Amino acid sequence: MNAQEELNTTEVVRGSLKRRYAREKRFRLFGLAAITASLTFLAVLLITITARGLPAFKQTFIQLEVTLDSKTLGVGENPDTNELRRANYNGAIKKSLTTLFPDVKKRKDKKALYKLVSKGGQYDLQKRVMADPSLVGETLKVWLPVGDDTNSYIQGNIDSSLPEKKRRFKDNQILWVDQLTEDKQIQRRFNSTFFERGDSREPEMAGIKGSLFGSMLTLMVTLLLSFPVAVATAIYLEEFAPKNRWTDLIEVNINNLAAVPSIVFGLLGLAIFINFFNLPRSAPIVGGLVLSLMTLPTIIISARAALKSVPPSIRDAALGVGASKLQVVFHHVLPLAMPGILTGTIIGMAQALGETAPLLMIGMVAFIVDVPTSLTDPATVLPVQIYQWADLPEKGFVEKTSAAIMVLLAFLIVMNAAAVYLRRKFERKW
Amino acid sequence: MSKIGLTIAGMLLCTTVGAQSARDQISIVGSSTVYPFATVVAERFGQTSQYKTPKIESTGSGGGMKLFCNGIGVQHPDITNSSRRIKKGEFESCKANGVTDIIEVLIGFDGITLANSVDSDQLEMSRKDIFLALAKQVPDPNGGDELIDNPYEDWSDVNPELPEIKIEVIGPPPTSGTRDAFVELAMEGGCKDIESIAAIEKTDKDSFKEICHTVREDGAFIEAGENDNLIVQKLEANPDALGIFGFSFLEQNSDLVQPTYIDGFEPTFESISDGSYPVSRPLYFYVKKAHIGVIPGIAEYLLEFTSEGSWGEEGYLADKGMIPLDEDTRLSSAESIANFETMTLD
Amino acid sequence: MLLLIIFVLTSVAYVVGRSRAATLRKNGEQLHSLPRYYGYMTAICTAVPALLLLALWSASEPTFLKHSTVKTLPAEVQSLPQGQLDLVLNDIKNIATGGITQTADDPVREASANHYNDRKNTSQLLKSFFVLVASVLGALYGLRKIGVQTRARIFVERAMMTVLIACSCIAIFTTVGIVLSVLFESLRFFNKVPFTEFAFGLHWSPQTSIRADQVGSSGSFGAVPIFAGTLLISAIAMLVAVPFGLMSAIYLAEYASSNVRAWAKPLLEILAGIPTVVYGFFAALTVAPLVRDIFEGVGFEDVASESALAAGLVMGIMIIPFVSSLSDDVITAVPQAMRDGSLGLGATKSETIKRVVIPAALPGIVGAILLAVSRAIGETMIVVMAAGLAANLTINPLEAVTTVTVQIVTLLTGDQAFDSPKTLVAFALGLMLFVTTLILNVIALVVVRKYREQYE
Repeated sequence: MNAQEELNTTEVVRGSLKRRYAREKRFRLFGLAAITASLTFLAVLLITITARGLPAFKQTFIQLEVTLDSKTLGVGENPDTNELRRANYNGAIKKSLTTLFPDVKKRKDKKALYKLVSKGGQYDLQKRVMADPSLVGETLKVWLPVGDDTNSYIQGNIDSSLPEKKRRFKDNQILWVDQLTEDKQIQRRFNSTFFERGDSREPEMAGIKGSLFGSMLTLMVTLLLSFPVAVATAIYLEEFAPKNRWTDLIEVNINNLAAVPSIVFGLLGLAIFINFFNLPRSAPIVGGLVLSLMTLPTIIISARAALKSVPPSIRDAALGVGASKLQVVFHHVLPLAMPGILTGTIIGMAQALGETAPLLMIGMVAFIVDVPTSLTDPATVLPVQIYQWADLPEKGFVEKTSAAIMVLLAFLIVMNAAAVYLRRKFERKW
Repeated sequence: MSKIGLTIAGMLLCTTVGAQSARDQISIVGSSTVYPFATVVAERFGQTSQYKTPKIESTGSGGGMKLFCNGIGVQHPDITNSSRRIKKGEFESCKANGVTDIIEVLIGFDGITLANSVDSDQLEMSRKDIFLALAKQVPDPNGGDELIDNPYEDWSDVNPELPEIKIEVIGPPPTSGTRDAFVELAMEGGCKDIESIAAIEKTDKDSFKEICHTVREDGAFIEAGENDNLIVQKLEANPDALGIFGFSFLEQNSDLVQPTYIDGFEPTFESISDGSYPVSRPLYFYVKKAHIGVIPGIAEYLLEFTSEGSWGEEGYLADKGMIPLDEDTRLSSAESIANFETMTLD
Repeated sequence: MLLLIIFVLTSVAYVVGRSRAATLRKNGEQLHSLPRYYGYMTAICTAVPALLLLALWSASEPTFLKHSTVKTLPAEVQSLPQGQLDLVLNDIKNIATGGITQTADDPVREASANHYNDRKNTSQLLKSFFVLVASVLGALYGLRKIGVQTRARIFVERAMMTVLIACSCIAIFTTVGIVLSVLFESLRFFNKVPFTEFAFGLHWSPQTSIRADQVGSSGSFGAVPIFAGTLLISAIAMLVAVPFGLMSAIYLAEYASSNVRAWAKPLLEILAGIPTVVYGFFAALTVAPLVRDIFEGVGFEDVASESALAAGLVMGIMIIPFVSSLSDDVITAVPQAMRDGSLGLGATKSETIKRVVIPAALPGIVGAILLAVSRAIGETMIVVMAAGLAANLTINPLEAVTTVTVQIVTLLTGDQAFDSPKTLVAFALGLMLFVTTLILNVIALVVVRKYREQYE
């Protein structure tokens, strides 16, 4: 009887054990699945963007023999800078195209022919001639960027088997381009324009230099303001602050600010910095101020965590040998907490670099061609540039948008990797 | 320690420096519809003149007007773009803030197109069909002049000649000028073709407008953001849907979407500029006269914008999809602009 | 430039101060503090007055220059209204700096420009002089103070404490700034539209008044649909983020080998680091059409192209790392002894996690989730780019809804006229957003404080 019961119990336990182990396995699998799913999504996102943006790093050029005679350019004998700047380079390019394809006669066809070369080509010529006015009257072979549609045809984005009506690149254009390709007058090269120029309305001439510099200036302001202030705040709250209503209020405030939606900071920037202090719109300084208010709480919180993780024994030891409270903090605690603080700062900066919403409110959604050089120059930043390009009608901007995203992500990943590296390198177990 | 002090001082310095430096660059704000055109002119202007490239913010017409009318002075913009005419209230608030002399420039038109994916059939409809398909309240299809909530579900319910697909139109939000123009030109136009409603116009203008301008809210009309590219993408993904967006986007995406004939006309350059295609809206910009000659380059910018090479029929703005004015209007307004003639609002 | 000089002077002051104190000490004097502190003290005395003077001077310089330049202008120009006068001054400044102008030939303005340049140079010169004098005087004062009587360390520490306290108050100023900047506009809005209508109205349609005669220009401002939309999207996001985030955290904390953990955690955090514009771009172009196709394929009708589901899904993915890394921290903080106890009684690992670890970590996890919720509510770019603007009052995730943040952006950047309730309402929405996140935070804080189990 007793043995019987015992046997039963064992069986019951065995049976339930099987179930419990199965459950254990399932639970573990769920966990693994959750992580895999999240990481898969990351991979999908990165791959989609890369596939879209990769072609934008190459650009197609066309070789033309351009005659820069003063008649076509419409300049006088000894043209001054202003005349050279306004000269009709486009006319010269058009002329060279018509000499290349002399049988194109109809107006409509000519228009299609001129579209092969980018509208920005004339500015390239302009730059060369202005740098060397003796070129007027010469004939030179130049490589000029091709137009948007031509570029996407050569990239293979236009299916020539479709009926002509359904594609933007017409039969005769395909014919010309194929001929030029055979004659080795079309070449694909690394797209240096993308890194050397500011914004433009022609996708093949658009670059991210302007917004990249804007981002750097903005981040510089953010870093210079938020880092010292955040560290000082963290030190005060963690090491010195008496526990009273006031410090409690500050604490709650900081925790709350960390969760305040970024767009609200934009409203703040609009009302305080622009309307009240009369700072210029679309300036990196305003962007930097807004972003530093936004990142302050993030850095403060991580700095506090880093300070907290320094064991009290170190403080006690320092106090014990007669150091003042401030000496303890600045000579012992802070250096030990620094890696942690830096990690937090880098993450905060990465956040600021990717932020868009508050900047929409303070006039940084703007077309700015010139690269900003000072804190009050009008500027835009990389994420806002992405937002703007996503909105333009020209097809070429889709790949530029993705390429700009790739650049932005590269920066962010480098920053995050640096943070991780720092954390690993200096992580200590006390 | 002293680093902190330095930063604070640096901050103070920066703010004062910011207020001190002079502006030698034109500042433009305003409509996101005019933005693609204004930026082309600005870029060219910056390349071919000795002036800096103007800064153009895309703030929306209303936001632009607000900034523009805030006053005269360096910190206020010189030019605002608008996809509608300045309102009386705005004009007055401008005046109250000292912005009394304003030059108005009508630059051209933007056609508003109704389009669907090239994978489906090209449609042809009248403005009346559009009204019936999209209005919140329509006359009872079973007869009578009673207005009832829009009962139509498929296009074929509206007009038996149209295909039997669900009515699904993706369009801009009410805050957008595109939507306003579409409602006024397409829907109100269609409204007038319905006798019972046209009769209301004579007696009660307000309720007429209310009937004609109110778009249904039961999901057949989907409000998308102002991003026209996204609308195009959505049409590509959903061949049954129609989308409302500007002509320039149609031009650039002619391999993905095709326009719907409205009242028998396809939107093309010719049909929009001669007025036979019924749905297009004017594009404007406004200039502060007081800033001309003080902020460098404004007069030259105006000249560049109103030159045949840019806003003419063969100009580069037409290449970007803007519909030019007719030649006489261009010539006469270019002249009055060159003389800086200011506007009055009647 | 001047800043650099001050910096150099400060450094010199530090060195001199220190060596002076060191000499004193070498001579057998009993100093109160270490020589270094005397150095710091001298440096502070050098830098602070100079910087203050510099800031003050720079702040008042433009006003002074302006007045002085205006006086050189003809009387009729002087009597121009403020704005026009500013323009003239801008022109003069442009001439003065040699920038491009159109009135460069005007002799009067040329003269003013010269005057301006003149005054500016004088001012610069005087500024440099006085600032340097101030710093040198400060340095001398500091040096004189070096002596047995002076408690340099106390002085330095007081100065530092002041700076620390000042910095920590910035957080308060920010909050005050936010409240002030949205409150006034909101009050103006509530003057025009009663609060009750805003808070309880079921109809949201801030119709345009692009033209005065336009219909629907009165608009209705019932915010319930947009709050409902915000909640719907946030709920979807949380449905994605909480299970995935929590399970990831559990796996990483309890099961994963340290190698996996070392790789998976940073990778997950990259998800949080991706800018929201990118998510928006991705949600609108890739996820939204996919969601539509899938659900239409399954046989659902009426799937909106901008379904709440698409925006919510992507937002959820964005939030996963917030939930996971915060929960990871709390889970690892549960003492090992508790686990050992449970395991020792024969429980499997998953039973231990479910019955012991999670309950112990619950307050922290709830706090993490609440923080993630406030993140979801305030997220802007994803919804601006991927969610619609239709203010439908619905719980069907396949329909288009709109959120508070989308409305703020469209209202402030649209084509409608300003100063109407339509733009003021954006500030009211901003206020609501701020208050909502504040409440969520306070709840999270209270939960964590009240229910946190103190171990050890």
